[in-house]
Amino acid sequence: MSKSSRKIAILFILPVIIFYLVMAIYPFVSMVYESFTNLNLTIPHSGQFIGLSNYFAIFQDPLALSSIDFSAMVIYIAVPVEMILGLVFAYLIRGLKGEKIFRTLFLIPMMIPGIVFGIAAQMIFNYLFGAANYFLSFLGIQPVAWLGQAATAQFVIIFLDVLQWTPFVFLIIYAGLLSVPQDLIDAAKVDGANGWQAFLHVEFPTLKPLIYVALIIRIIDALKIFGKIYMTTWGGPGTATSSWSFYIYKVGVSYGWDIGYASALAVILLIVSTILVNILIRFLNLGEQLGISKEA
Amino acid sequence: MGKYRVLLLVISMIAVMTFAALAVTTISVVVSPDNGPSIQYLAQQFMQQNPDIKVDVTIISWETLYPRLLADLTSKTGVYDAFTWDVMTAGAMHSGCLDLTQYFKDHPDVIPSGYDMNDLLPLAYKLGTWNGDLIGLPYYNNTMLFYYRKDLFNNPTYQQQFYQMFGRPLRVPTTWAEAVDVARFFTQAYNPKSPTRYGIALMFPTTHTMFYMFPLFFGPYRTSTDGIREFGPVNFDYGTYFTSDGKPAFANQYGLMALEDMKALMPYAPDPLGSDYGQTIEYFAQGMVAMCPQWTNPYLQFASSPALQPASEKIGIAPMPGVSVAGNWALGVNKYISPEKQAAAVKFILFCTTKESGMAVLKQFAIAPVRESILDSPEAQAAIPWVAALPSIYQTEAFRPRIPQEPQLESITDVYFSKMLSGTIPMTIQSLQSLADQWNKVLAGGQ
Repeated sequence: MSKSSRKIAILFILPVIIFYLVMAIYPFVSMVYESFTNLNLTIPHSGQFIGLSNYFAIFQDPLALSSIDFSAMVIYIAVPVEMILGLVFAYLIRGLKGEKIFRTLFLIPMMIPGIVFGIAAQMIFNYLFGAANYFLSFLGIQPVAWLGQAATAQFVIIFLDVLQWTPFVFLIIYAGLLSVPQDLIDAAKVDGANGWQAFLHVEFPTLKPLIYVALIIRIIDALKIFGKIYMTTWGGPGTATSSWSFYIYKVGVSYGWDIGYASALAVILLIVSTILVNILIRFLNLGEQLGISKEA
Repeated sequence: MGKYRVLLLVISMIAVMTFAALAVTTISVVVSPDNGPSIQYLAQQFMQQNPDIKVDVTIISWETLYPRLLADLTSKTGVYDAFTWDVMTAGAMHSGCLDLTQYFKDHPDVIPSGYDMNDLLPLAYKLGTWNGDLIGLPYYNNTMLFYYRKDLFNNPTYQQQFYQMFGRPLRVPTTWAEAVDVARFFTQAYNPKSPTRYGIALMFPTTHTMFYMFPLFFGPYRTSTDGIREFGPVNFDYGTYFTSDGKPAFANQYGLMALEDMKALMPYAPDPLGSDYGQTIEYFAQGMVAMCPQWTNPYLQFASSPALQPASEKIGIAPMPGVSVAGNWALGVNKYISPEKQAAAVKFILFCTTKESGMAVLKQFAIAPVRESILDSPEAQAAIPWVAALPSIYQTEAFRPRIPQEPQLESITDVYFSKMLSGTIPMTIQSLQSLADQWNKVLAGGQ
């Protein structure tokens, strides 16, 4: 590339770089800096540098610590369920009569924003007028206070997450299944493998890298769970459904604009997600699986 | 020649339109849903009388309004020119609100003739001030009322059944202890003959609602003779939650008794920990419950509900069995906008708080009046049944804190109370003390 072409190229990408710097890098740097200050929009003249005080405060904040529980619950329960269901549906729908229709219908939940899911859930799980209790009444089951008890409220949020994000896992795995070379499957069948064996020994190993990618994306996303909680339970009862990201919102925006402390919470979230994802990448040997690991 | 004429005409038209556009001052007004329709109505009226001012009204949910306003006022960006603000956020909002006392001194002509400042209810006026500055004109004197099914309470059959069950006459409860029996009577699970499924609609979710529900129960203890003796009179800036010298007043037997009163009613309410404002309104409007503590404006929703017709015979309104809690709204003006916009915004909020406007929004939108003359008016009392009851309710109201730390205190408290009511943590004075310790940390400037 000639020097003048290079200059023109830089000129073309400059707006994007500036946009990225202003909209992503600057806020990020600012957030990291503010996590070391006592900036609180409700308190005039705040914003002094206070070192690591916000980080130490997190470990003594019972509300922050209790929000770890629900975040972990989403990762430990919702994500595996989504992975398994996504895989099962992808396997079952492939080759089915009306496959295209099922596929389209199945993707609808993923296109609905979490906030809308939350609003719908409020109606569906309403104690007196909700559809959930209405249908349970046919089975002679007494109304359930879905959003008023810790266990059921957690179930509702996890159920909504599974409902919304299973299609995402399905989509990735389904696309992977369609891309498995037919001759490999045919060869397995010639060797006497049935459908399940062909899936287990031929298709599944091919799908592994995609499954791992879906898993990592889902874990990162599960750590950010917010909209459904915001619209449905507001983190309650108590802190039963309060995730770390929802707590950041409460501290940083909804109740008080304690920007310094919220920034420290956000930095912790970032560090945890980065560590978690890196561990997973190494543990799953993802670089090699995707063929992008550095050559020795 | 003709070509030039057309060009001249076009240029003239553009010039006229530009001049007209420049001559109009546009103000952006942001309001909560409670106040939204009434402010939209007043904005239309105002623009008809003041064609040189355009008022854009935006309605934003309570949860979003406060953070947005606070961000705007703190960052001095001047996005919103005028706004309704919840008086309990006075401490946090005051730095960005125009001091109207000073503004009126500097611009005496802005106050329309006939605008009677002395007619504004002293308490409502006081709640619009911070450190002696008037930072908002009182707009909506909201308070909580005790709605009940008048037809059921007056029904001789139910009166007789209640007497048989409890050995005393059925009447609208005046204490929370009385409310427990009545709620039990009207709950089908405990009394299969009850005409309603549940006795009372309660809202104890982990939201700001919890923060205003607790004073309904704690208020009677805090403002009792013993409470006043122990904690001093209620300070308007710190509110009912605090002692008069600004220390948490709930970490004791009074706070515990208030929570126990709340818990005692829960079996007779549909999903109290999972229900909020909208759900409880719906429960009462659909005739599912016999009693419902609610704010003033849901009255119109109740009165138009097919399940509660005729409204005059079915909807009863009484003072809260404990005490009510103030939920006032004021209209403020942004300090960080141009003088022209400030003038237009002040003119608009003055228009919204005249006697004529107050009467109109009371009749059409059930906006509780901030003027004494409206409260006393037979016309107003005939229009909305709760008007006559308001003066006595206002005298015993509880108040939430108005100090800058209020939002943080609220956030912590909602969670603690929800955990205690749901049994996640024990309902003890020690748990309340632990909450008070959290409050003290926030008050001392830490998280």
